[in-house]
Amino acid sequence: MNNKTEDRIKNVMSVVFDIPIGQINKDSSPDNIGSWDSLKHMNLVVALEEEYNIEFADDEILEMMNYSLIRNIIGEKI
Amino acid sequence: MMELKYSEVLKLNKELGNNLKSSSYDITVLSNIIVHQSKEMLEYSLRGEGINANVKFGDYDNIVQDSKKYQDSNSVIIFWELCNIIDGLQYKIELMNNNQLNELLEKTKIEIDLVMKNLEKTSLVLMNKFTSLSFSYSKIRKNNLDELASHINHYLEENLSENVRLVDIEKVIGSVGFTNSLDMRFFYSSKALYTIDFFKVYAQFVKPIFMSATGKVKKALIFDCDNTLWKGILGEDGFDNIEMSNLTNEGNIFAEIQSMALAINKQGILIGLCSKNNPDDVNEVINSHPDMQLKNDNITIKKINWRDKVSNLKEISAELNIGFDSLVFVDDSTFEVNLIREHLPGITVLQVPEKLYDYPALFRKNIGLFYNLSITEEDSKKVEMYKEQVKRETDKKEFTDIEDYLSSLELKITIFEDDESIIPRMSQITQKTNQFNLTTKRYTEGDIQNFINDPNSDVYAFSVADKFGESGVTGLCIVSDNSKAKWAEIDTLLMSCRIIGRNIEYAFMDYLIGKMKVKKKHILNAKYIKTQKNEQVKEFYDKCSFNLVEEDDSIRDYVFDINNYKSRKLNYIEVINE
Repeated sequence: MNNKTEDRIKNVMSVVFDIPIGQINKDSSPDNIGSWDSLKHMNLVVALEEEYNIEFADDEILEMMNYSLIRNIIGEKI
Repeated sequence: MMELKYSEVLKLNKELGNNLKSSSYDITVLSNIIVHQSKEMLEYSLRGEGINANVKFGDYDNIVQDSKKYQDSNSVIIFWELCNIIDGLQYKIELMNNNQLNELLEKTKIEIDLVMKNLEKTSLVLMNKFTSLSFSYSKIRKNNLDELASHINHYLEENLSENVRLVDIEKVIGSVGFTNSLDMRFFYSSKALYTIDFFKVYAQFVKPIFMSATGKVKKALIFDCDNTLWKGILGEDGFDNIEMSNLTNEGNIFAEIQSMALAINKQGILIGLCSKNNPDDVNEVINSHPDMQLKNDNITIKKINWRDKVSNLKEISAELNIGFDSLVFVDDSTFEVNLIREHLPGITVLQVPEKLYDYPALFRKNIGLFYNLSITEEDSKKVEMYKEQVKRETDKKEFTDIEDYLSSLELKITIFEDDESIIPRMSQITQKTNQFNLTTKRYTEGDIQNFINDPNSDVYAFSVADKFGESGVTGLCIVSDNSKAKWAEIDTLLMSCRIIGRNIEYAFMDYLIGKMKVKKKHILNAKYIKTQKNEQVKEFYDKCSFNLVEEDDSIRDYVFDINNYKSRKLNYIEVINE
């Protein structure tokens, strides 16, 4: 996965959670991003699916609970 | 909006929200499923029209309770999902017997009644019709779910209050398609049924209702002629070779466009022509081409000449006395379209598509811009009235003294007090009137009904007649007073632009002050609230000799001692109390 892909993911997260892109790092998760609740998680899933024209399975959606995991799951699909 | 990604809408919506300075338009969404993704879609689509929408949500599956809590919102939207009336209804319903089905229907009717009662004072309520499609679309026989949906919808239609608009979401599902409308993954995990694509189309679909409620509806449709109203170029192809007959291959498309234009013309939308052509040639087509459906009676204004279209459209706006943002212009030429978009960005410009067969669909898609919350008798009369106004403008030039001219008009004001039969019209003029409007408060039919019912409010509507004809109800004044106190306050005072410039406002003020004296009032309070369009009445109350007591950037407050009133004694205006 190249830097451009990582930037795209961070960009989507920044817009969905309404926080500056610089605040997102490999440990970002609902524990340290206040606005990351279950509804915003749905928005994130939908936004990333649209961004990469992919579809996440049920268990992947449950698993995508921090930036590193999201990056890995997307990495497997593109 | 359809071409934008969800994350792009989120971003653009935030930017729009930061830039809009107008006061907030609060929408509360009540639902028994999760529809939180509608927020930014609705906000973005309305903010794009200058409506500073802010969407918030009631609690999940709390429609009845929250309808009371949020009744003061500017608008309430209700997503009431059939399959979640009780949990798992989509599969439980086929095993229910008639008794159980009836109980379910009764329970839902009672809940609907409660919600509608709680929201009876809310200006605007959008209620999605119930649909069984999401779970029964593959079933051949009509089933219990279908039956229940049609019973509830029937009940909704039978018991519709004036402030409620039913939204047919099957049209939205149909245009998006099932697969793209519904996300069963989130339905079974989180009770969220609809997709982003659904909400994008939904927001576009309901937008005209909000534009109408906030006075942003379009009033006139201006056409270029060549390749816009007919196929071909009149000056080159000639009278006999242009096509707009439903019997020819491409002519039929223009026949359809003209018919649709005629239909909205009948609802009171003005039609005009703005075309580079020889006026005699175009008039010959209008007068004698057998396939031309738009006739002189339908066309309020014509600018057919070789000047640039920017100047022509400016003149059209001035002569009809309606702003650029109330005009829609249709042209086939990329050059003209870009020119207008650049110089007159307020005008909505539609370009005839290169694939001509897409033209009728483009037209239909934009017909919503002319959507009226209610269609009233005045709408269909309006076209006639504008024509009379053009005649009056011509007459005006012969008199040197304006008072002389006004005396010759035989002006008559008829006043209707608390008249329930004209509620739709009264509501409509509060939504549409921008220029002569002192406070620009937009009221729905329900709001007007409340004023009429309220013993401490008086609603005066008036119509104006002169020797050329009758304006219909074109003025409104709402006064609230406390029956025990010595003062009253003007809540609303407005007049349609069709009757401006005749000193009607001063004759009405005489009448109003007379009324207040009968009611033993001593003090009349009034306000001017500034908008982008009502500069012309900024000093109206000063001209009526009211005292300005407080002023800031947006509001001027007046207090007036009724006993000091000096009438202008306009003896050429007769006032009749209906």
